[in-house]
Amino acid sequence: MTDQRPDPETSAPRRRYLPEDWVGGAAMALLALITFANVVMRYLTNESFAWTEELSVSLMVILTMVAAGGAVLRDRHIRIEAVFIGGSAQRRRRLAILSAIATIVTFLIMFGLGLRLFWDDYRYEVTSPGIGVPQWWYTVWLPVLSLTIALRAMQRLTMAWRAS
Amino acid sequence: MTGLAIFAVFVALMVLGVPIGAALMLAGAVGIGIADLGWFSIPNNFYAGIAKYPLLALPMFVLVGAVFDRSGVARRIVDFGVAIVGRGPGMLPLIAVAVAMFMGGISGSGPATAAAVGGVMLAAMYRAGYPPAYSATVIGAAASVDILIPPSIAFIVYSVLVPGASVPALFAAGVVPGILAGFALMIPAVWLARRHGFGARELDQPRPPLLRALREASWGLFAPVLILGGMRLGWFTPTEAAVVAVAYGVFVGMVVYRTIGFRDLFDILVDAAEVSGVILVVVALASIFAYTVSTLGIVDPITRVAQESGLGSYGALAIVVVVLLIVGMVLDGVSIFLIFVPLLAPLMRLYNWDPVWFGVLLTFMVAIGQFTPPVAVNLMVSARLAGVRIEQTAPWALWFVFSMLLLLVILIAVPELATWLPGVLGY
Repeated sequence: MTDQRPDPETSAPRRRYLPEDWVGGAAMALLALITFANVVMRYLTNESFAWTEELSVSLMVILTMVAAGGAVLRDRHIRIEAVFIGGSAQRRRRLAILSAIATIVTFLIMFGLGLRLFWDDYRYEVTSPGIGVPQWWYTVWLPVLSLTIALRAMQRLTMAWRAS
Repeated sequence: MTGLAIFAVFVALMVLGVPIGAALMLAGAVGIGIADLGWFSIPNNFYAGIAKYPLLALPMFVLVGAVFDRSGVARRIVDFGVAIVGRGPGMLPLIAVAVAMFMGGISGSGPATAAAVGGVMLAAMYRAGYPPAYSATVIGAAASVDILIPPSIAFIVYSVLVPGASVPALFAAGVVPGILAGFALMIPAVWLARRHGFGARELDQPRPPLLRALREASWGLFAPVLILGGMRLGWFTPTEAAVVAVAYGVFVGMVVYRTIGFRDLFDILVDAAEVSGVILVVVALASIFAYTVSTLGIVDPITRVAQESGLGSYGALAIVVVVLLIVGMVLDGVSIFLIFVPLLAPLMRLYNWDPVWFGVLLTFMVAIGQFTPPVAVNLMVSARLAGVRIEQTAPWALWFVFSMLLLLVILIAVPELATWLPGVLGY
């Protein structure tokens, strides 16, 4: 048996922030503030800003994709970890490379198709169903953030590659 | 044929440790490519999968958990627990289970609770003479019950997937089974501690005065009342209840206990954003998989096979239980729901299973899987915190697994345990 005491380091706050953390944290704060303002307004004025729903939902999409990019670099995504724990260093490296490649392929596909989706919304001047602003204001984030996730996965790939 | 290809790609990638989201999306893309369903269903389903207003409850409840995990509420409730039951063999594990259940009534995710309760309890239990492997098991198991006790993130996802099951109904349905699960863990925890004489070393320590402990803990004790009571009285929707709880937690942490500073607040937001992003990206990518599976009618044969086999309702349920217990050992609850609910929906219709009851059952199975060694999600967190290897927890964990399996059988035999409360509350 090794050291049996709980390790205080595991619960220490992390020190270095990624750009993704700043955007993700800010989006989280904004989501909470909008939702809270909605509750307060509903009780004070008996009115709800239904239009904020559209804004909140698109913020949630942005939050998801931004945070997913940071999580790629930190290797926090949900997966079956059992295969990593048992194996040799060589096997872990090969599996890490496979994971990175699968992530890159996933989000490059999403980037390409998302770009077309954005382009159609832009070209045909589609407006959003709720507020009536141009739909591409929302859809543009799909290709942009897919690309950032793919780039993070490429960074991960080079890290795994060099770990030999 | 296409169905086989989709599942082969998915299972192969998943077993090789590829992130679940990527495995789901690539398998879905293979199906879309073979059957020529149109490539644009990929980004459209990705976007539509998470661009749903009810899903906003998920990041908000993750934020509630992140706030309360750092607010120092857990430590004060532990003190309160010690003040009530006193010290002695079996008392600390009893309190650990109760506090984990209580934190489950505030936050919605198991691993976060395992970390919060483990951070407070493991050192105290070590000093009192409990072996770390035993303590890690108790905390890992108790944190697993979290997903049954409202608010639960797994229930929110299930409700988005199953139209007949509303979030308030599921939350209400989880209450009785969640509390029973707590008892099912307390009994072996106390019995094992008594039998081996663990925890005798803390008898000489003072017992905190009851009234002061109550006053200190009351801020935390009020949080679930606010969340669940506010929803019950119709003051708030689930999302609103979450954001009100965030405001309350920030107030308690920053003003009352002074455990949260501005810097911590930003850490909390970043943590919550990351945890939400990791879950929601799987939700988004899984909707591509679900779209392919349902459009191609891949799961329809399941109904036929079930009918022809003559298994009957209980036979089919038994198979579902075994499969989900195994899968629950390697995957978290939300991912399991995203993968399995579309596959099980035809069975649910065939046998007329109540969607709310079935949701509670699924969640219960997942909860058991999350602390069944050797590959349990929650046990991994608590074992790491306790500094033991996960295999060392096995001789302890099997008692808890056995006790929970007994309760699962009771839940299947007596569906009213889950359906009674939502019925009374009129959901």
